[in-house]
Amino acid sequence: MTSGSSAHDVALEWPDGHEERVSVAEDEPILSAAEHAGVALPFGCRTGACATCTGKLLDGRIEHTRPPRALKQRHRDAGYVLLCIAEPRSDCRIAVGADIQAELVSNPWR
Amino acid sequence: MSDAQQPDDTTAHTEHEHHDTEGPGYATPQAAIEESEPEEVAYVMGLYVGTDVDAPDFLGVVDVDPDSDTYTEIVDRVEMPNRGDELHHFGWNACSSSCHMDGLERRHLVIPGQRSSRIHVVDTKDRRNPELESVIEPEEVFEHDLSAPHTTHCIPDGQILISMLGDADGDLPGGFLALDENFEVDGRWEPPGEIEMNYDYWYQPRHNVMVSSEWAAPKTYYPGFDFEDVEAGNYGQRLHVWDWENKTVEQTIDLGEEGLIPLEVRFLHSPEATHGYVGAALSSNVFHFHEASEARSASEQSSGDKPRDGDEWRAESVIDVEAREHDGWDMPVPGLVTDLLVSMDDRYLFFSNWLHGDVRMYDISDPANPRLADRIWAGGHFGDPAPVQDRELAGGPQMLQLSLDGERLYWTTSLFSSWDNQFYPEEAERGSVMLKADVDPRNGSMSLDEEFLVDFGDLPGGPARAHEIRWPDGDCTSDVWQ
Repeated sequence: MTSGSSAHDVALEWPDGHEERVSVAEDEPILSAAEHAGVALPFGCRTGACATCTGKLLDGRIEHTRPPRALKQRHRDAGYVLLCIAEPRSDCRIAVGADIQAELVSNPWR
Repeated sequence: MSDAQQPDDTTAHTEHEHHDTEGPGYATPQAAIEESEPEEVAYVMGLYVGTDVDAPDFLGVVDVDPDSDTYTEIVDRVEMPNRGDELHHFGWNACSSSCHMDGLERRHLVIPGQRSSRIHVVDTKDRRNPELESVIEPEEVFEHDLSAPHTTHCIPDGQILISMLGDADGDLPGGFLALDENFEVDGRWEPPGEIEMNYDYWYQPRHNVMVSSEWAAPKTYYPGFDFEDVEAGNYGQRLHVWDWENKTVEQTIDLGEEGLIPLEVRFLHSPEATHGYVGAALSSNVFHFHEASEARSASEQSSGDKPRDGDEWRAESVIDVEAREHDGWDMPVPGLVTDLLVSMDDRYLFFSNWLHGDVRMYDISDPANPRLADRIWAGGHFGDPAPVQDRELAGGPQMLQLSLDGERLYWTTSLFSSWDNQFYPEEAERGSVMLKADVDPRNGSMSLDEEFLVDFGDLPGGPARAHEIRWPDGDCTSDVWQ
């Protein structure tokens, strides 16, 4: 945790019921804080372009430090966030794991 | 660290004196066929990116020597230092285009991470136990306002050229990044702004030409395939014909609706050839491109339909894979031509229909009129996915590689992690497989080798995806001749 700024309690919830709690400073991306705490989350570009680290905000507030370019407006409206560029602004509950990214798109022919 | 000694005689480059030089590769494509030994190991990308498996992607060493005790096993894995790379396509530091470079060796694999923009250099001096040598970090790539490295070719004189699909933000335009012979970033290859979208490329130095294709902005294709993006024009449908020496686009060919998402570009191997192919994934067409001045059809000549000034290259769809109705699916499903290659003798074209599930073999003796020779169904959504050795196939045929003698065709089943999850979600749980067909070039036929199965689903870290395949002694998708 970075010193000198307030921290929030972020609960990371996998679809299988597994849960981890991480303390995240307001100036630290949630992905980085999880890494420092030894909690593995999927990620790719770390710049907000690839959506590999997509989570779904279930409760609380976050702020993206850069435009979340990989998310379309419909995804943002539905609460999807990119954890590589998301900082908490309150305590949060976030659905995480590779299955959350997979929710962004479906098979269009099916 | 350089593989190159300074060549004593710089004139060798222009004279193409193949017979008395000792550079890497083979003097001609025919020499590659005649002089090469059957492949004994394959280098195959293995991926964990985008899954909940807490492990980095790796370079897998697959034993493909039928006389070996560890035949069809992954005998070694070079783990990358970071997670999240999405290792995708990779290339050699030298190929047959470097044959004039005395002292250069085909020894280092340059392995980019598609998502991370990190570039790895692996030393394969010990073929069965390669070692990571150096890493170019993403920040060094972003400095040149580029990201999403894709196709890696050595280019003459020891440099490495990598197609880059986006700018530093994962948006457009993409471009090309050059590495020097010490595997350090040399800078941007072309003047910025020549192209918007980028994907694969192939160069044919004797004709001073390069052809590049288009996928989309990284931010568009990274999260998965969204039909909204097709309707918005966010996917490519153009080929770019470059002046190789000047590094400028001389002609852009719009393939139209038949050419949506043109991916792999393959020239014939003969350095004299001005014919090549590109597969358009979404529209599921294969285009033949060629230098029009040499290859105009009789009807065009008789009608006097001359190409416009500057339009020296043309591309025509020569194979169309028809979309098929799938029980319970809303719309006809395209084949999705995702990879193609040309045999070293320039006689056969092979390509994969990743969604349908077949691998096809075409006779291209007449390059403008490919003739279907044979095909194999294995996995996919229509292949009545018969298990191989009781192993359920979770995806369709995707990245292809052919032996230099043209008798063994191999393929893997993963396309791209987010696209896999969309179209073959079970592949994340089961992992990819690597399969093989025996090819009879004389009779133009092939058959699935049921004895050959490499299972990437059964690894210590968990099931992995498998992607591109390369041979230590050059292969049908990386070697270029001057």
